[in-house]
Amino acid sequence: MFVKICGITRLEDALLSADLGASAVGFVFAPDSPRAIAPEQARAIVEHLPACVSAIGVFVDAPVGQVREIAAFAGLSAVQLHGRETPADAASAGLRVVKAVPATREALDGLGAWPVSVTLLADAMDGARRGGTGRAADWAVAREMARCRPLLLAGGLTPDTVAQAIREVRPAGVDVSSGVELAPGIKDAAALRRFFEAVGRESSEGLPAFGRRDPDERGYFGAYGGRFVPETLVAPVEQLEQAYLEARRDPAFATELSALFAGYVGRPTPLSEASRLSAAFGGARVFLKREDLTHTGAHKINNALGQALLARRMGKTRVIAETGAGQHGVAAATACALLGLRCEVYMGAEDMRRQAPNVARMRWLGATVRRVDGGSRTLKDAINEAMRDWVARVDDTYYLLGSALGPHPYPLMVREFQSVIGAEARRQVLAQAGRLPDAVVACVGGGSNAIGIFDGFLDDAGVRLVGVEAGGVALDPGRHAARFAAGSPGVLQGTRTYILQDADGNIEPTHSVSAGMDYAAVGPEHAWLRESGRTEYRLASDQEARAAFEELARLEGILPALESAHAVAGARRVAREAGPGGVVIVNLSGRGDKDMDTMGEGLTDAAS
Amino acid sequence: MPRLEETFAALRAQGRAGLVTYVTAGDPDLDRSAQVILALDRAGADVLEVGVPFSDPVADGPVIERAAERARAAGGTLATTLDLVARVRPAVRAPIVLFTYVNPVLAMGEGRFAARARAAGADAVLALDLPLEEAGLFRRTMASAGLDLVFLLSPTTTDERIARAADLGSGFLYAISRLGVTGARDAVPPAARALVERIRRRTSLPVALGFGLSRPDHVRQVGRFADAAVVGSALVSVIAEAAASPELIPRVEQFVRRLREPGDGRTEAP
Ligand SMILES: Cc1ncc(COP(=O)(O)O)c(C=O)c1O
Repeated sequence: MFVKICGITRLEDALLSADLGASAVGFVFAPDSPRAIAPEQARAIVEHLPACVSAIGVFVDAPVGQVREIAAFAGLSAVQLHGRETPADAASAGLRVVKAVPATREALDGLGAWPVSVTLLADAMDGARRGGTGRAADWAVAREMARCRPLLLAGGLTPDTVAQAIREVRPAGVDVSSGVELAPGIKDAAALRRFFEAVGRESSEGLPAFGRRDPDERGYFGAYGGRFVPETLVAPVEQLEQAYLEARRDPAFATELSALFAGYVGRPTPLSEASRLSAAFGGARVFLKREDLTHTGAHKINNALGQALLARRMGKTRVIAETGAGQHGVAAATACALLGLRCEVYMGAEDMRRQAPNVARMRWLGATVRRVDGGSRTLKDAINEAMRDWVARVDDTYYLLGSALGPHPYPLMVREFQSVIGAEARRQVLAQAGRLPDAVVACVGGGSNAIGIFDGFLDDAGVRLVGVEAGGVALDPGRHAARFAAGSPGVLQGTRTYILQDADGNIEPTHSVSAGMDYAAVGPEHAWLRESGRTEYRLASDQEARAAFEELARLEGILPALESAHAVAGARRVAREAGPGGVVIVNLSGRGDKDMDTMGEGLTDAAS
Repeated sequence: MPRLEETFAALRAQGRAGLVTYVTAGDPDLDRSAQVILALDRAGADVLEVGVPFSDPVADGPVIERAAERARAAGGTLATTLDLVARVRPAVRAPIVLFTYVNPVLAMGEGRFAARARAAGADAVLALDLPLEEAGLFRRTMASAGLDLVFLLSPTTTDERIARAADLGSGFLYAISRLGVTGARDAVPPAARALVERIRRRTSLPVALGFGLSRPDHVRQVGRFADAAVVGSALVSVIAEAAASPELIPRVEQFVRRLREPGDGRTEAP
């Protein structure tokens, strides 16, 4: 959830807000406000803000020239217009604009007049005082507004009312000022803390956790990561990084994504307790994080939407993607259809065969599927081909990479878009089990669903984070995809990480029953987390994954993707290790419809 | 004087643009690859780029990708590439540049690679997926073994990075004629000249232009504004087509002679 702490006049209040997780702090430049601040003072505070916290200046009917001047001088990332400014004024400001509108029927009817580039903020305004009145907005009307547009909610919020406001209005973000103050412009540290706790508990449309754990400036997580690309791609990758860092500071980007998560993807996804599976495992209570219930049926959509929004923002008209299991290809095709972008998906010939339903889905969604016949004709070769395409068409083309892989900033960006999984899961398990889990288990192909759910628990030292790699049929070369169990550090497709390679540095073929795990490299952040001892990795074989698929279907009525079935298989041991009374979360990254061909027609039925 | 420096100094003294050829080591097999390299030298190629076969050549188009596959099927690796260089070196006049992806080098170990490459008689290294930002340590290791490090520069490369490449690189700079992977094209894009001029304003290192050049007139055209023209995929196609024929070596030689003939005319009228 986007949280803005407004009416800042002291550096300490700004820093505490940032620390507690504010996405933005606000400075009031209306001279007659009790919270008014001089541009010089604001600038001195902005200089100390962490990069991921936006500075927003509040103006009331100020001349546009003055707004621009102060914005440039104080280093504001957006301006909030709180007076009688019109849509034309907002458009002419040439800045990122948040427009305050009263939560009234009349304003609701006029919502369509505001350009989509303007973020709307609903407040309790009256004719005499433009906001900051401390009065609550009309939540019923605000709810209507939040249905139409990503909405920030302001107006008399307090630590005691914000939870209910979020429940009733379902805004993309909240804005608070007087509700967390000792006196006008002086924030109350205890109230700020209570406010963030209440938001954390309640915010149901979790925003990605932007900017919390960045790699170093060269894109390294410890010794892993970096940017090993052909010269032509250096500039485009740098532009991508700039655009991403800018986008994640922009409240309009965050609110649009979180509105799509809620209104399109169907987030938050439930955390389902799997009682019969738990009993069969004979250990801890097992909870399933249901990414299979997202629109398109896998976690891939979280990242695809985030990046497609970025592509549109960068003015790209053509999106390319690679896909293994087809889930990322479907997600990319879906996001592009939604945003009106052209989409071309590279897919290995072998994967097109084993994930045929997803090929048809991509085509129906308007994407062109490009068959890749090089190499092992699987995911790695599809990425090679997508990179070749990108090198030739960097001007109009955005490469929408599907996992936490590749050159910086992809591993960071993909993790941040997927971090919504972990943020939700943590909140949900606290609410449902009343405690943090003993372990979180996820399958690791490139590593995106795993890093997304791990991210929510990284700071909880007592929670084991267990990744499950594809053990395939045996740990011999070409018969598995176990990068940690059988690989070594090297460079593949833009990043330094663990890879499967022979003595000459050539990439080894891989095998897994599941296309999404059948890949020779693993996300660099996993390599780093493993080295630090924070995460651990295990194997599940093809056979164990098939057995877990069947068990989950029979016991819980859920057909998992074969990728996710690896996580379920891995969780069997982890649940026993945690023991009765323990709690284990399994990230159910996707649903299994696409795997019907591979699984056959319920073969064991014939036997029973 | 290092061999590359000597070669480009001689070209300048003669007022002539050079021809750089690319082949993949071990294509179609190690023995014939050795003969191909000798033929290139005989036919007058000024600099020889020798490609290390790699499983995942992301910067290459299908022609060179297939060449790597043929070479690997015949047992080609980084180690056999270095053996091949050692084998041909005594009989070859031209400087030899190893053209490689970075992972095989990392697998061998940068220090070991540098020592072996130098011992084999290689003159320089070009690592396709090792941009400036990642090349610091690598460059020092190559330099202390006496190897030049050649950087690629692309139409997307900023002026600031061109200056850094000129600082860190040696031997020559390799300008990429256009966006895209390797592969023969019909024409030299107009932007190529602009890039070479942009580079020249920032360095006195020789500049070779490559990617897409396939015909004598391309070589002639490029020779008017660059110090050398690189021909890769077109030559590799000649090898692919003649691989099964006893005519392989004469055809390669003839192809290169034809590329060169009009290439002496840096001063020739347009
Ligand atoms: C459902 C599902 N889970 C997991 C994966 C593996 O990818 P990652 O490790 O990036 O989550 C895929 C990839 O296609 C997938 O479709």
